[in-house]
Amino acid sequence: MEHQSAVLPASYGWVLLAILSVIWILLGMYWGRRAKSVEGFMLAGRNVGLALGTATAMATWVTSNTTMLAPQFAYELGIWGMIAYSTAAFGLLLFAPLAKRIRALMPKGFTSGDFIRLRYGKSTWHLFLVISIFYGFTWLISMGMAGGILLNALAGIPYEVGMSVILLVCVVYTLFGGLFAVIGTDYIQSLIILIGIVIVGAGVLSYADFDTSYTHLVDERPMLISVMLPAAIMAIFNNLLFGVGEIFHSNVWWSRAFAMRRGVGKKAYLLAGFFWLPVPIAAGFIALTSGALGINVTSPDMVGPLVAANVLGKIGAMVVFVVAFASLASSVDSLLAATSDLITEDIYRKLINPKASQETLRKASAYIIVGLGLAAWLVCLPRVGTLATVLFFAGPMVGACIWPIATGLFWKKANTRGALWGMLSGSVVGLFAYFELGWYTASLIGAAVSMVVVLIATAVSRHEFDWRRLDEKHPELEGRVESR
Amino acid sequence: MMFSRDFFTFLVAAALVLTGAGAVTLIALWIRDMIKGKVW
Repeated sequence: MEHQSAVLPASYGWVLLAILSVIWILLGMYWGRRAKSVEGFMLAGRNVGLALGTATAMATWVTSNTTMLAPQFAYELGIWGMIAYSTAAFGLLLFAPLAKRIRALMPKGFTSGDFIRLRYGKSTWHLFLVISIFYGFTWLISMGMAGGILLNALAGIPYEVGMSVILLVCVVYTLFGGLFAVIGTDYIQSLIILIGIVIVGAGVLSYADFDTSYTHLVDERPMLISVMLPAAIMAIFNNLLFGVGEIFHSNVWWSRAFAMRRGVGKKAYLLAGFFWLPVPIAAGFIALTSGALGINVTSPDMVGPLVAANVLGKIGAMVVFVVAFASLASSVDSLLAATSDLITEDIYRKLINPKASQETLRKASAYIIVGLGLAAWLVCLPRVGTLATVLFFAGPMVGACIWPIATGLFWKKANTRGALWGMLSGSVVGLFAYFELGWYTASLIGAAVSMVVVLIATAVSRHEFDWRRLDEKHPELEGRVESR
Repeated sequence: MMFSRDFFTFLVAAALVLTGAGAVTLIALWIRDMIKGKVW
C-alpha cells in the first residue's frame, strides 16, 4: 500500500505534543492531590458526581479507534458501517441498570474481580482474571500502538517517540492521582473530543456539497449507500456484542460504577451512551465526501484526517491531532488505573498479601501502574500487529462473560457451574470461530454459546444465592476514606 | 435499493447536532454539580 504523507507539519506536531503532555500531567497532578487513601486513589472517594461520571464513561469509550476508524468504517462499509460502529453505544446504555445494581449490592466493592469471586467462587474468578487482564492489556497495547501510528501518520512524529510519550504521560498522571486524575482529565478530554468532532464535521459539511457527494457515491461506489450490505450488517451484531462484552466485564467500567456517588451511576451511563451514539457518524461521514472532493486516499485508516486537512487546512489537521491525543489519553489512563486496580486488589491483596496496609497497597498500586506501562511499551516497541486485530482477539472471550455477569447480578439461581462453563466454552468456541469463520462472527458465537450454557445451568439449578454475601467489608480500609 | 440523499443528510445533521448537544449538556451538568457542591 502506498504511504500516505503526514497531514500536519512536524513542527506543529511536536509543539502540540509538548503542550498537551504538560497540560495533562499538570491537570492530573492537580486533581490527584485528593487521592490520599487507597479508596481515594482507586475509586476517587466513591463520590463522583453526574457531570464527571458521564464524561469519564463517554470519553473512555471514545478511543482513537472511534475517531480514526469510524471514517475508515464509513469509507469501506458505507452508511451501515457508521451505524454499525454506533451500536457500540449499547454497551454503555445496557450497563446503566447494572451500574445501579452493582452500587446497591456492593457498596464497598473495589473491582469486577471482587464480584466474580464472591458470586461464583475461586475457579471462575481465576478464569475471569485471565480473561480480564488479557483484555485490559491487549487494549492498552492497541492504544499504545495506535498512539504511535497516529502521531506518526498525522505529523510525522517517529512511531517510537509518539508511542512512548502517550504511555509516559498517562503513566505519570495516573501514578500521581489515580482515578481522581483519570476522571478529572477525562472531563476535559470528553469536551475536546465532542467539540473537535463538531468543528471538523461542520467545516466539512459547509465546504463539501452534499448533493455532489451523494451523486458521486451513487455513480462510483453505490455499495456504500446500499440498504443491503451483508458484511456491514454482520458487523453491526458483532460490534454490538463485543461492546457489551467489553463493558460488562471490564474493571474499567466497574471501577466507575463503584466510584460514582449513590444514585448517579445509572443516569451517568445512560447519558454517556446517548452522547456516544452519534460520535461514529459525526466523525465518520467525512470519509464519504472524499470522492467528491477529489482526495486521493491511499491508506483508508487516514481518510478522516486527510479530508479534515484538505477542507480545513492546518487548523483542521491540528483539531484532528488534539482530538486523537485526547481520545488516546482518555482510554490509556483508564486502562492503566483499572487494570492496576484489578492486579492490586485481586492478585496482590487477595492472593499474595491479604494483610497489606493502606500504605503498602498504595505502593503496590504505583509499582503495578509503572510495570504495566513498561510492559505495554516493550510490547508496542517492535510495532507488531495492526490496530484492530490484536484487540479483536479478545472479542469472543469478553463476549462469553456477558451472561455470567448480567445473570449473576440479577438472578439468584445463576450459579458457578453455568458461569464457569459458559465463560470457558464461549471463549473456546468463539476463538475457533474467530480463526475458522472470521473476526466478525467471534463475539456473536462466543456470547451465544455462553448464553445457552448459563441459561441451561440456571434452569436446572435449585440453589439460590444470598445477595448479602456480595457486601464484603474491608475494615482495614474503612474510616480513612476521604469522601465528603 | 439505496439510502436516499435526504436520509443521508438527516443522519449526518442529526449526529452533528447530538454530538454538539452532548458537549453543551456536559458543561451544564458540571455547572449544576458545582452549584450543588456535588462535583466530586
